[in-house]
Amino acid sequence: MPQSVQPSEGPELVQLLTPEGERVEHPDYSIDLTDDEYRGLYRDLVLVRRIDTEATALQRQGELGLWASLLGQEAAQVGAGRALTGNDFAFPTYREHGVAYCKGVDPVTLLGLFRGVNQGGWNPHDKGFQLYTIVIGSQTLHATGYAMGLQRDGADGAVMAFFGDGASSQGDVNEAFVWSSVFQAPVVFFCQNNQWAISEPLERQSRIPLYERAKGFGFPGVRVDGNDVLAVLAVARAALERAREGSGPTLIEAYTYRMGPHTTSDDPTRYRLAAELETWKLKDPIERMKAYLSRTGIADHDFIEQVDKDADELAAHIRAGCLALDDPDPLTLFDNVYAGGSSLLDEEREQLAAYLSSFEGAHS
Amino acid sequence: MPTFKDFKLPDLGEGLTEGEILKWLVSPGDEVKLNQPIVEVETAKAAVEIPSPYAGLVTTLHHGEGDTVDVGSPIITFDVDPGGAATDGGVAAPAQTKVAAAADMVPQISETQIPHEPGLVGGPAPKAGTEEKIEVLVGSGPKSGKLTRRPRKQVAGAVVSSVQRPPAPAPQPARVSAAAVGAHAEQVVGEVHVLAKPPVRKLARDLGVDLRLLTGTGPQGTITRADVEAASNGAAAEPAAAAAAPSRTIDFDPATREQRIPIKGVRKQMAAAMVASAYSAPHVTIFTTIDVTAAMEFVDRLRANREFADVRISPLLVVAKALLVAVRRNPLVNSTWDDAAQEIVVKDYVNLGIAAATPRGLLVPNIKSAESLSLLELARELNQLVATARDGKTPPADMANGTITITNVGVFGMDNGTPILNPGESAILCFGAVRDMPWVHEGQLAVRKVTQLSLSFDHRIVDGQLGSQFLADIAALLNDPALFAAWS
Amino acid sequence: MSSTLTLGKALNEGLRKALENDPKVLIMGEDVGRLGGVFRVTDGLQKDFGEDRVIDTPLAESAIVGTAVGLAIRGFRPVCEIQFDGFVFPAFDQIVTQVAKMHYRSAGNVKLPITIRIPFGGGIGAVEHHSESPESYFCHTPGLKVVACSNAVDAYWMIQQAIESDDPIVFFEPKRRYWDKADVDPSATPKSLWDAEVVRSGSDVTLITYGPSVKVCLEAAAAAETEGRDIEVVDLRSLSPIDWDTVLTSVRKTQRAIVVSEAPVYASLASEVAARISEKCFYELESPVLRVCGFSTPYPTSRIEEDYLPDLDRILDAVDRTLAF
Repeated sequence: MPQSVQPSEGPELVQLLTPEGERVEHPDYSIDLTDDEYRGLYRDLVLVRRIDTEATALQRQGELGLWASLLGQEAAQVGAGRALTGNDFAFPTYREHGVAYCKGVDPVTLLGLFRGVNQGGWNPHDKGFQLYTIVIGSQTLHATGYAMGLQRDGADGAVMAFFGDGASSQGDVNEAFVWSSVFQAPVVFFCQNNQWAISEPLERQSRIPLYERAKGFGFPGVRVDGNDVLAVLAVARAALERAREGSGPTLIEAYTYRMGPHTTSDDPTRYRLAAELETWKLKDPIERMKAYLSRTGIADHDFIEQVDKDADELAAHIRAGCLALDDPDPLTLFDNVYAGGSSLLDEEREQLAAYLSSFEGAHS
Repeated sequence: MPTFKDFKLPDLGEGLTEGEILKWLVSPGDEVKLNQPIVEVETAKAAVEIPSPYAGLVTTLHHGEGDTVDVGSPIITFDVDPGGAATDGGVAAPAQTKVAAAADMVPQISETQIPHEPGLVGGPAPKAGTEEKIEVLVGSGPKSGKLTRRPRKQVAGAVVSSVQRPPAPAPQPARVSAAAVGAHAEQVVGEVHVLAKPPVRKLARDLGVDLRLLTGTGPQGTITRADVEAASNGAAAEPAAAAAAPSRTIDFDPATREQRIPIKGVRKQMAAAMVASAYSAPHVTIFTTIDVTAAMEFVDRLRANREFADVRISPLLVVAKALLVAVRRNPLVNSTWDDAAQEIVVKDYVNLGIAAATPRGLLVPNIKSAESLSLLELARELNQLVATARDGKTPPADMANGTITITNVGVFGMDNGTPILNPGESAILCFGAVRDMPWVHEGQLAVRKVTQLSLSFDHRIVDGQLGSQFLADIAALLNDPALFAAWS
Repeated sequence: MSSTLTLGKALNEGLRKALENDPKVLIMGEDVGRLGGVFRVTDGLQKDFGEDRVIDTPLAESAIVGTAVGLAIRGFRPVCEIQFDGFVFPAFDQIVTQVAKMHYRSAGNVKLPITIRIPFGGGIGAVEHHSESPESYFCHTPGLKVVACSNAVDAYWMIQQAIESDDPIVFFEPKRRYWDKADVDPSATPKSLWDAEVVRSGSDVTLITYGPSVKVCLEAAAAAETEGRDIEVVDLRSLSPIDWDTVLTSVRKTQRAIVVSEAPVYASLASEVAARISEKCFYELESPVLRVCGFSTPYPTSRIEEDYLPDLDRILDAVDRTLAF
């Protein structure tokens, strides 16, 4: 049974908070947060996990056809998500529910895709968060193009492209690396290396640590402890700043672990050992934050409880919102194919409408 | 007041149609929280824990451990409001297989309606065709297909409402208005000539019917198979199309004092044929007058003959037979001028055409291979031909491929004529009235039965000598029927 | 005021106009900037509009289209050039999976006004992969619109109209016609981008065609005239959507239809045209709809390409056959 690459084998893994919840220093990256900000990050982590567990439960209850769980990756996503500012645009894959949350996208709107009632329930322009891209790696090119657009607009802002370890093998991702470097585009490539691409381990995607690949394309790469929200926040902020000031792309490899299955239809017991999960449980992103906040007194018991209550409320909101997502009217399947409309589709819609109304029990 | 909610086994996203209860994690009477794991279910490959969709009291477990349960059937019931008053609805029952499938817009037949077949293992029988569990990584998995049709509305008249456009790709079922079927509706864009389906066009071509002359009775004026057949048979498909028979009474328009008769149908075709023939073959007509008293006596004897009792005998029969014998002696008259191939095609078979006046107009049906028929057979064929023609039912095949023709002007009381060749033929015999005439018979004046024969021929093929010879042979046979025996 | 322009130059003028009229228009592709394009279609544009608007890209077709998606999301109107028809396939995924579906899946929130220019078709004696006709793949993809110009006048107007459209458009340019000339009057009122055009009126048979085959059909029709046959030629111009009114009006008039195009006949756009005509004109057709197309083989080596491509004789042979029914 293949094993994942152990972090101790690699150099440089930026870390500011150990798994035990101890603050440590790093020569190149630091973070300076207020107590409110620390508490805010903890709350984000808990709520993001709760979004994920509630959605998983809803899938198990037949309310969603599928769910792609981010369990274990909360810190990577919250750290990156909270580094993004108002002008920044994010291009996710299909697992970045934590980034969506940080960008202000209502989690209920994430569900439509997985329930099968729409293909993306929010307006990307509203929140600077693109619809999920299921084809692996395609969004890195979109992100690069968007960044080139920012350059031409002379606008303040940067782009963050999210993808996983598996995606780093895709042609499109490599082309995005080429383009972003030759055009010095303001894009940060945020790779959540969660060790597995469905059943393929990291070693099937690369012979060298992923962050080192950036050098081959001519831009910096950095590996960060993906379960350390403070380190991720620091590294992401720095990379986005680099981009904004015109220094071009950065590759961030957030070293983390996919605690759950690839999706709810996957069975990870077929390709990885339970022991591996146990190892990573010890590196849990929320536990270490909780430990740190408790130990330092930044958060007290009341606060922790309140956060749990907030999580329950959010979960109830998600559940109710999910159950209220109705199937679309079949005739809407012709909507929005073209911005300029289509007489052919108008004809087809009419035919379908006539056909459907010809059945007993149908409204004419 | 208790509010009971069932939880049905969901499709766990693997195309599951059933699952086995491995282990209950709760018991009746337990209080459970929302999302608390309640049961472990075995899917194709692993055990899956299902979290509770409700908070409340467990009332009933519907299956035991080890039972195989259909997706969509209840596995557990909760009381979600054990102590309180009647709720105003609370949490809606989870929609079971409610995950919309884009391709499926009609109500699903619930899993339990599908008939079961007995299985080998205990518990509820596996559904037919679900032995293989299909793993689907990316969605809720395949659904079982429909097994019965969804019932359509009954429509009395032409309902198909908004279909004011080109016909729908899928044909409407027969129940839905016949007018909608082939609703070749709509503003026909552009100029239209003939409207007919390909099979109808082919039929028309085979029958020699010109579609442009017809008015269709099908939807939107399309020409139907029946229209073509009617035109071909001369039945009155349409008053307008009856250009066939020349009308006896003329309906003059009082304003112009003229009647305009459309040139259509048989008349048009016949006219075209005549023109083609008249202007391509150089016609020469020769005449002879003969004493056919002996032939008429022969006709009488045939009529009296028991063998010929069931057929109508006419002089035409004897003339026909005489022509056939003469053809054998002068084969070149039974030929065609093939201009395209630059060849004269002489035929061994004689498809003998008889010009007939029918309700549709002048037609020339022929008797195929008449030379091979006995006199009796020939008689029968003639009867049949005449009767059919008189009824207007001559099939087109009978009018094709004639090789030589007889036209009888005698029935009109005429003596002879200058007949026009049937296109594709080289000779046509015209047979006039048989009259009692003064004649020189054995050196004495006598009253004899006399008739005239005229023969038109295609001078490209038949020269004067051949034509005369041929006509003389016919004349001789009619003058002295004993020659039938001599020349056979 | 008209000027005589080659089709390539007419495209150049049209692109120039588009760049002038809208600062959001960008041109991007391999060799389009300094070189002016391998067919000189973008000649002189980078000099006048700058490297930021006329972009020489790295050699990566998927990225040409993929980054155009991002640029379009940002509010630009990218005009991508794929250097040759046979090289569009690395970009095929971005085109059919991302570009085509974005408006639909975003419920209209994300528009992608991208134009993808592709020189297509054969008959230029080229080596492999430079003579393809891939239009059927794109016509088959809902969410894309597909057009093909056949002459310089259409080229001048259609490229501008395509760029102005809010829908993604695959814009096919008949490369063997790049040097064909016509008078282009910039003050004229153009036809709609979506209209087909009866480029030759006739009564016996309708030839339906597009792109490089339009000229061949016109030449065939002229030759047929000497045989006493009167042939109507319809230039589709827009391949998806098709202007069915013009096509069906023509077929109902002549009652005989032949579809002519270079692409391999099997499962082609020509087949869609034939099927739809058969369905809509069932009662009016005197003969089945014929297709004169490339054979169902990969594009052959150049020395025998003239036997593969529909030419005057093959078209008139089809005319003979349809009239014989």
